[in-house]
Amino acid sequence: MKQLICCVLATILLFSCKKEGCIDPIALNYNPDVHINNGSCEYITTTPYDIITPYGFPDMIIPEDNPMTFEGVELGRKLFNDPILSANNTLACINCHMPESSFSDPNQFSTGIDGFLGNRNSSALINLGWSSSFNWDGSVKSLEEQAFEPVTNSLEMHNSWNNVENTLNQDEEYLLLFKQAYNIDYIDSTHVVMAIAQFERTLISNNSKFDKYSRGEEVFTKSELNGFAIFNSERGDCFHCHGTSLFTDNLFHNNGLDVEPFLDLGLGKITENTSDNGKFKTPTLRNIEVSAPYMHDGRFATLEKVIEHYDSGGHFSSTVDPLMKKLGVGLNLTNQEKSDLIAFLKTLTDYDYITAE
Amino acid sequence: MKKILFITSLIAITFSACEKPTQTDLTINFTQTVDGNRLITGSGCSDGGECFHDHSCCNLGKTLGYTNDAGENYNIQTLKYLISDITLHSDDGNTLLLDEVHFIDISDASTFSFTVKDVPNNNYTSISYTMGLDTIRNINNLYINESYHSAMAWPETNGGGYHYMKLEGAYNNDSTFYNTHTGGTMGGDYSFNNMEDISLTVDDDLGDISVNVNMEINNWYNSPNQIEFSSYGMGIMMNMMMQMNIQMNGITDVFSIDVSK
Repeated sequence: MKQLICCVLATILLFSCKKEGCIDPIALNYNPDVHINNGSCEYITTTPYDIITPYGFPDMIIPEDNPMTFEGVELGRKLFNDPILSANNTLACINCHMPESSFSDPNQFSTGIDGFLGNRNSSALINLGWSSSFNWDGSVKSLEEQAFEPVTNSLEMHNSWNNVENTLNQDEEYLLLFKQAYNIDYIDSTHVVMAIAQFERTLISNNSKFDKYSRGEEVFTKSELNGFAIFNSERGDCFHCHGTSLFTDNLFHNNGLDVEPFLDLGLGKITENTSDNGKFKTPTLRNIEVSAPYMHDGRFATLEKVIEHYDSGGHFSSTVDPLMKKLGVGLNLTNQEKSDLIAFLKTLTDYDYITAE
Repeated sequence: MKKILFITSLIAITFSACEKPTQTDLTINFTQTVDGNRLITGSGCSDGGECFHDHSCCNLGKTLGYTNDAGENYNIQTLKYLISDITLHSDDGNTLLLDEVHFIDISDASTFSFTVKDVPNNNYTSISYTMGLDTIRNINNLYINESYHSAMAWPETNGGGYHYMKLEGAYNNDSTFYNTHTGGTMGGDYSFNNMEDISLTVDDDLGDISVNVNMEINNWYNSPNQIEFSSYGMGIMMNMMMQMNIQMNGITDVFSIDVSK
């Protein structure tokens, strides 16, 4: 035993000639010149951001390698609002995803930095944390993956990730914020999209009149109730695609907009399966009142026109969904039923959401 | 004290080593036929594989290749259904729940089967399963975190819970569609439990086993109640009489079981 104590003492003596400090490379005050850890290491501490599952919603699936933190969310919010991601520093995410339009664009097509128009209507960003496919054609499977695309798209921000990285790494504030959120010294594209995805996961809408009605806090008018009944039965048959508290099945359907050949193949372009041609992702109907225009190509300016489309039964094509079972016959809703349906759809507007920053 | 501990653990190890671990895997396959032939749909075949990408059989599936007893030609484009309480019963009176709810989607080959590992050795004499969800399980949002939640949810205003089955396609011509959606119309229970005798001896020496649960789709429409798409294709979700008629047809001869070793 005595021998052991001697041994330990000798070792301590031997090393005490060398400098003391923080020897952990991931610590903030890491000193490569010291060899003895004196317990002085200081680390980045992030504050976990808890997503509270709203009433009637499933649990949100958050990627294990990008846990939600206040620092990450705030950084993502800053990036979302900052034109720094675009090539000429003029266009931010928020310019085509405006809060007052439920984080979408009231224009049919959005204008990129070079003045060119896109070819699909900007998607409303709501409750994205409950989806596992993104874009109208489902081309990507995660929010992180999605955020890569608009930055380099020549019709949108028309930038290169190299340039984004160079710009951000010259910015003292971003260097500090990325250090605080992700403990990195060099800002790379991966962490940019991770932060944006974190912010997008906080875009949760669950306080519309419908939610208040569901929680027993408010009552529907007679017209809203009747609209809800049409929506939720095979009379209007909206719920098969726009069901549950999310008001989307997160699947892809051809809802009879066009005859063949399709101008836009949608999902079929991605899967290269002709039976997917003309199919697009079901959008949520939350905040639908403020996210006009409608459909993947923004062809309908008003909810009335959308109702007219479904009321007419739609057009036949080889991939039209069999749920469009009134094809060629039409729903033949009365004017009263149509206005009731729209009254119900307007209960999905969440004023807290569209006025949030 | 140490010696006692040592000896005790030695004995324990010896005994557990003598007990033979069970190593039989049991796979439950869900298959679908129309008039005894394996289902072909417009977007793929129920045997999976290459048919999901424009294989010739997919094109065949778009023709109205099937005929019900009412004489209507039809195809099948969507088939999603829930089978619950899949249970094995053994001759010593024990039951073994294999799965609480299993979702089958004809467009997703990963849903066509599930495997239970290390099934205890026993003589299993029957299998039971429920088409759909009984009243205990058919509750709004009960399976909110399952993959099928949004695809199968049944509106609360019409009883809530989940669709038991969504069977959809075209009939008579390409552009007239039928939707056979079964579920708990107005809160009723139209699920049904089938119990079938099987001879299934699980013994490690005999190797892995699979049990096939087949749905003969045409029989939903034929007997004892003949059902015409032209009368009911537009939807039966609010129609208690039709839910009952389809339930009766289902009980009669839609499902069959076979065991393969």
